[in-house]
Amino acid sequence: MRVGVEVGGTFTDLVAVGPDGVTITKVASTPRAPDEGALNALEESGVPFDAIAELAHGSTIATNAVLERKGFRTAFIATAGFGDVLELQRHGRERIYDLRYEKPRPVVERADTFEVAERVLADGSVARPLDTEAVHAALVPALRDGGYSAAAICLLNAYVNPAHELELAAIIREALPEMFVATSSSIAREFREYERASTTTISAYVQPVIDSYIERFTTSLAARGFRGNFSVMQSNGGRAVAEAIRETAVTALLSGPAAGVIGASRQAATSGFANLLTLDIGGTSTDVCAVIDGKPQLAEEYAVDRLPIRVPVIDINTIGAGGGSIVWVDDGRMLRVGPQSAGADPGPACYGRGGTAPTLTDAHVIRRTVRAEAFLGGRMAIDVDASHRVFQDIADRFDMTLEQAADSAVRLANANVVRAIQLISTERGLDPRDFVLLPYGGGGPLHAAAVAEELGIATVVVPPSAGVISAYGLIASDFVQYSSLTRHAPVDDGAAAMLRGVLAEMRAEADDRLAKQGMKGPFTYELIAAMRFVGQAFEVSVSFDPAELATMSADGVRRRFGEEHERVFFFGGDADKPIEFVSFRLGAILPLAERPVLKETHDQRLQRTTVDLYQDGRWCRGTLMSRADLPQDAPLPGPALLEDPTSTLLLPAGWQAVRDDNDNTILTRQDANA
Amino acid sequence: MLETAPDTRLLNPVDYAVISQSLQAIAREMGVKLIRSSYSTIVREAQDASAALLDREGNVVAQAELVPLQLCSMSDIFRACARVFPPDTLKEGDFYINSDPYSGGQHLPDVFIYSPIFFDGALIGFAGTVAHHIDLGGGNPGMTPDAVDVHAEGIIFPPSVYNFDRDWSGGPLERFVAANIRVPHQTIGDFYAQFAANAVGVERVRQLARKYGADRLDAAMRELMDYSERRFRAAITDLPDGVYEGEDALDDDGIDDTPLTIKARVEVTGDRISVDYSGTCDQVSCYLNCPWASTVSATLCVAKSVLTDPDIPFNEGMKRPVEITAPTGTIVNPNYPVPVRARTLVAYRCFNAIMKAFARAVPERVVAGGNDTSHSLCFSKLQDGRYKVYHEIYGGGFGAAADHDGCDGIDSILSNCTNAPIETIDADFEHVRILEYGLLTDTGGAGRQRGGVGLYRKFEILQDDVNFASYSDRMRLEPYALDGGREGTLARIELERDGEIIPVSSKQMQVLKKGDVIALYSCGGGGYGDPRDRAPDAVAEDLRNGLISPDAAQRIYGVAAE
Repeated sequence: MRVGVEVGGTFTDLVAVGPDGVTITKVASTPRAPDEGALNALEESGVPFDAIAELAHGSTIATNAVLERKGFRTAFIATAGFGDVLELQRHGRERIYDLRYEKPRPVVERADTFEVAERVLADGSVARPLDTEAVHAALVPALRDGGYSAAAICLLNAYVNPAHELELAAIIREALPEMFVATSSSIAREFREYERASTTTISAYVQPVIDSYIERFTTSLAARGFRGNFSVMQSNGGRAVAEAIRETAVTALLSGPAAGVIGASRQAATSGFANLLTLDIGGTSTDVCAVIDGKPQLAEEYAVDRLPIRVPVIDINTIGAGGGSIVWVDDGRMLRVGPQSAGADPGPACYGRGGTAPTLTDAHVIRRTVRAEAFLGGRMAIDVDASHRVFQDIADRFDMTLEQAADSAVRLANANVVRAIQLISTERGLDPRDFVLLPYGGGGPLHAAAVAEELGIATVVVPPSAGVISAYGLIASDFVQYSSLTRHAPVDDGAAAMLRGVLAEMRAEADDRLAKQGMKGPFTYELIAAMRFVGQAFEVSVSFDPAELATMSADGVRRRFGEEHERVFFFGGDADKPIEFVSFRLGAILPLAERPVLKETHDQRLQRTTVDLYQDGRWCRGTLMSRADLPQDAPLPGPALLEDPTSTLLLPAGWQAVRDDNDNTILTRQDANA
Repeated sequence: MLETAPDTRLLNPVDYAVISQSLQAIAREMGVKLIRSSYSTIVREAQDASAALLDREGNVVAQAELVPLQLCSMSDIFRACARVFPPDTLKEGDFYINSDPYSGGQHLPDVFIYSPIFFDGALIGFAGTVAHHIDLGGGNPGMTPDAVDVHAEGIIFPPSVYNFDRDWSGGPLERFVAANIRVPHQTIGDFYAQFAANAVGVERVRQLARKYGADRLDAAMRELMDYSERRFRAAITDLPDGVYEGEDALDDDGIDDTPLTIKARVEVTGDRISVDYSGTCDQVSCYLNCPWASTVSATLCVAKSVLTDPDIPFNEGMKRPVEITAPTGTIVNPNYPVPVRARTLVAYRCFNAIMKAFARAVPERVVAGGNDTSHSLCFSKLQDGRYKVYHEIYGGGFGAAADHDGCDGIDSILSNCTNAPIETIDADFEHVRILEYGLLTDTGGAGRQRGGVGLYRKFEILQDDVNFASYSDRMRLEPYALDGGREGTLARIELERDGEIIPVSSKQMQVLKKGDVIALYSCGGGGYGDPRDRAPDAVAEDLRNGLISPDAAQRIYGVAAE
C-alpha cells in the first residue's frame, strides 16, 4: 500500500493506493502540531499502519516556520565588512511610490550577525586568509553563549572557492557538535551574495524545525506499527528520503503546490497528455504551472515572504484569487476581485459565519454554478440569501441584475487567472494553444472551461478526485535531488566537451551523495546550463539530456542557447555574439518503477437531473450528474454541472465532456468536432 | 446615483477591467525584459531603466514600476518627437528617439525610444522605453563634472525619427553612435535591449487588439486614464483648499558655498493642484540644472506618493489635475546651454520643497526629509585602449512618517536602482574593489518614529590613474525632521590616502592612485515626533540590532541599556 498525506492550511488529505483500489480521506488540519492531523487522517482512512509500504508526506511546516518566524535561533556569519548583506538586500523597492516602504524582513536579525576576517576573490584566489584564531577565540564562544541552534555561513565568492566556508564550518562543528551548520556553497553554489545568503539563512533557520518534526512523526508512526519507507515532498516536485531533507531543509518549503502539479500531471499522463497548463484554484489563492513533455518547468529562484530562495523549484505562479476572494468596487469605480480574501473564517457570506463581503463563492451561488448542496459533500449548510444580499450593492452601482453582477465577478476572476497563466506561458515564449488545461483543487474545475476559452485552449482534462490531487502527487512523484555549480567559461569550440566533463563531475558527486543516503539507482540525469551572451547579467536556462549531449557539437550547444534566448526575449536566435556558461545544475532522478493510478471514488452518487444556471448573460437549463457516471462513449454536451465528492466541474454551453478509461474527464469545444 | 461611467456601448466593466490590467501586465513585462537582456551594470544590475505603453497620441497609459523620475516624463518627451515628425508619417519599423534636455528630455544618458504599434494598418499606440546609458561620450567617462555646457556632457539625440532596419541594426545611426561613445559593446547592447522590450510591447498590444478590437482597446486606454484621473481628483478633493509653501536647498554648486534654494508654492482648489516654483534660484553654470521634464516628474512623484494609494496606476490621467509652472532661467527650468548631468539632486529638492508644503496641509501623510540624494560615484579606467566604467548610485535612509519609521539603507524615492552584487563587481572590474558595505549606526534622525539609517561603502583603488567623478549633496544641510523629531545625518565622502583622510567635495572629479580608499557615507533620514515618545520596545530593538548606540538610547530616547 502506498499512502500520501498532505497537510494543508485547513484540511489534511490522504490518498491511499493499494491492490483493492483507492481510498480518500479528508480531516481537519491541526495547525499547532500538523503531524497529529496526519496521524488522524491515517487512522480515519482505516489503512493498517503495518500494511503501508511507502508513506509520502507533505506539509506546510517549513513554510509556516518562515512566515511566522517560528524557526530556531540562527546565527549568520559573513565576510568582514559585509555583515549587513541581509539588511541591505538589493537596495531597490517593489512599490516605487510608497513613502512607508518596508523591506522584506530577514529570518536572522542584525544582532545575530557575525563577521569573520577573510576574503576570496572572483577568480578563487585568497586575498586575505581566514582568521582561524579569531574564530576560535571570539566567534565560537559567541555562538555557544548566544544560544544558537543553527549557523548559516555565506562568504564572498564562496561559489568559486568554498575553502574558507568549509574550514569555518568544520571548526564550528567540531567545537559545537550540536549546532546545525549550513554553508552557502553547499546549499546554493551560485553568484550574487544576497540571494545566496538569504537561501542559506532560511535553510539553517528551518532545518532544526524540519528535523524535530520528522523525528517526532517517524517515532509516532513506528509506535503504531509503521515499518515502511518514509519520504518527504520538496518544492522541486520530487521526493527525498528523510535523511536527505535533513541536509537541505530549504527544499521542503512550498512543497504542497509542487505536489499538486506532480499529481495532476502524472494523472494526465495516464491518458497521454504531456503538455499541460495546471490550474489549482483553492480558497484564497490560485497556482498555475506549465508542464512540457510531462516535466513541470523549473524556476531558479522563488520567494517566501519576499525573501529570495535560490534553489530549483517548480515554476508555479501564485495569485490571490480563490473562492474566498472579495469582490469590490474601488474608488475609481473599477470592479475588482481579490487579492483580499475572506479566508476560511469568516469565509464567504453564504457560509453564514458572519462574512459580509461578497466573494467569488457567493457569485457562484447566485449563478447556481455551485449547488448549495455540494459544499463539503452536502455536510455544510449554505445561506443562499446571504449571497444575494451581499451582491446587491455591486449590482446597484453598475445598474445590473444580481446575476449579471455575479457573472461579471466570475468573468473578472477568470481574467485574473488568464493573466496568471500568460505570465508562465506567453511571457516565457510558450503558446497556450499548444497545451491542455488541467484544473484541480476545489475551484479549478469550475473555472477551467471559461479560462481555456479565453486562452484559445481546445482541451481541458479534469483528473478524478480533483480536490485531493496533491496527496496523490506525493506518492506519484519520483525521488529528485539537485546540485549546482558556478563555473564561468566561454562557449567555444570545446563547449560540448566541457559540458560532458561537467556532467561527469557533477554526476560522480551526486552518485556519491545518493549512495550515502541509501538510495540505489539507476538514476536518470538532467544537466541544466545557465548561459548568456557575454556582458549580460541574467542567464537563460538551457537543458541538456545526457544521451543527446554525448554526440552534440559546440555548434549544437550554441544553437540551443540561441533558440532559448529568442523564445524568451524575442531576439538573439541568430546573433553572432560570444556566449558564456555561468553555472550548472544537475538533477538526479530516481523514477518510480510503477506509478499508482488515481480513480474516481463512487461515494455520494447523484441522480442525474436538470438544473438552472446562469452563464454568459442568461439563465439556461443544464444537466446535473456525478462525474463517475459520465458516459465514456457519447460526449455529454454542456451546459452541465459534473460533481465528484471533492469538486464541481462546470461544463459550459458549447463544450462537451466524456470520461476516459483512466477516469479523466475530457472537455472539448463542441465546434472542434463539428 | 451613478458616477461618470465609461462608454458602455463599447466597453462593459469586465472588458474594461481585463484590458486595463492586461496593459499594465504588458508594461511590466517590457520592463522585466529590458533589464534582463541588457548589458551594462547600470541597467542590468542597477535597473536604471523604465518602460511604458502610450496611446496613439503619446499619452502614457500604463508603466512598469521602475524609476519614477524617468517614468513621469515619458509622454512629454514623446510629444517633442511628435511635434517635429507627426505620428501619421510613421511606418512599420520606425522609432522616435530623444535625449535632448532642451527639447523635452531629461539628462543626456537617459535615451527615450518609442516604437509605433500598428494594427490593420492603423496606428494604435506606442511602446516606449528609457535606459540610463553608461557613457554617451562627453568630456569624461560616465559623467563630466567640469562640463561648461550641455555639449560637453555627450552626444545629444534631438527629437527625431529613424527606421530600425535601415538606420540601426548595423546601419548608419548605430555606427555613428558606437563611434562616439566609450563602451560601445555594453551601450549598443543596452540599446538593443530597449528595442527588444519595445518589440515585446508592440506584439502584446497587437494581441490585445486582435482579441478585443482596436476600438475597444482605445476606449479602454482612455478609460484607464480617466480612472486614474478620477481617483487622483478624489484624493485632491480631500485636501483642505489653500496655499501651502515649502522650500529646501542644495548645499552648493560645488564652486562656492551658497546654498541653492528651491521654493514651491502649492495651491489646492477643489480637485486641482497648481505648483509654482517662483523664487527658486537662478540656473547655475555647472551640471546641477534640472531640465523641465525632470522638474515635472519630481513634482508629480510627490503628489502621487503623498496623496494617493500606491494602488492607483500612474498614467497621463494623473497629470491632468496638476498645473506646474516655473520661471525660465531658474535651476528648475534652465535655458540652453547650461549642463544638466546631476539634475537628480535638484529634482530631489523640488520633491522636498513640495513635501514640506504638503506637511502644512496633511502632516499625517508626509514624511520627513530622507537621504533624498543620488550619491552618484563613477570610477573609470582606460586600459589597453578600452574603457572600463564602474558607476553606481547609492541611497540612504528614508524620512520617518507620523506612524512609520523610515526605511533603512535603500535607494531614495525618485530613483529605484538596485545595487550590483559585490561578487559581480569583483568579477567585472580590475581597477576597484569593495572593502566594506553596511548600515550606519546612529544616523537615523531620532523621533517617535525614527528616520531610516544611512549606509556606507568603501572602495579600494587597485590601479593607478583611475578617474573618479561624482556628485552628491546633503553634506552641509541635513535631512529635515518633523514635529519635534531630530534631523538625519549629513553625507560625506572621504579619500584615505597614505594614512591621511581627505574630505572629498560633493561635486568633483579627480584622479586616484593605487592603494587609495574612497569611503561614502550616505544620510540617515529625519525623525518624526519627540524621541521621548518612542515606544521603549522599538528603542530596545534598535539597540539590540545596533541601529542606535547605547549612548543614544540613553541620552536621546531616555532608555537605559541593559
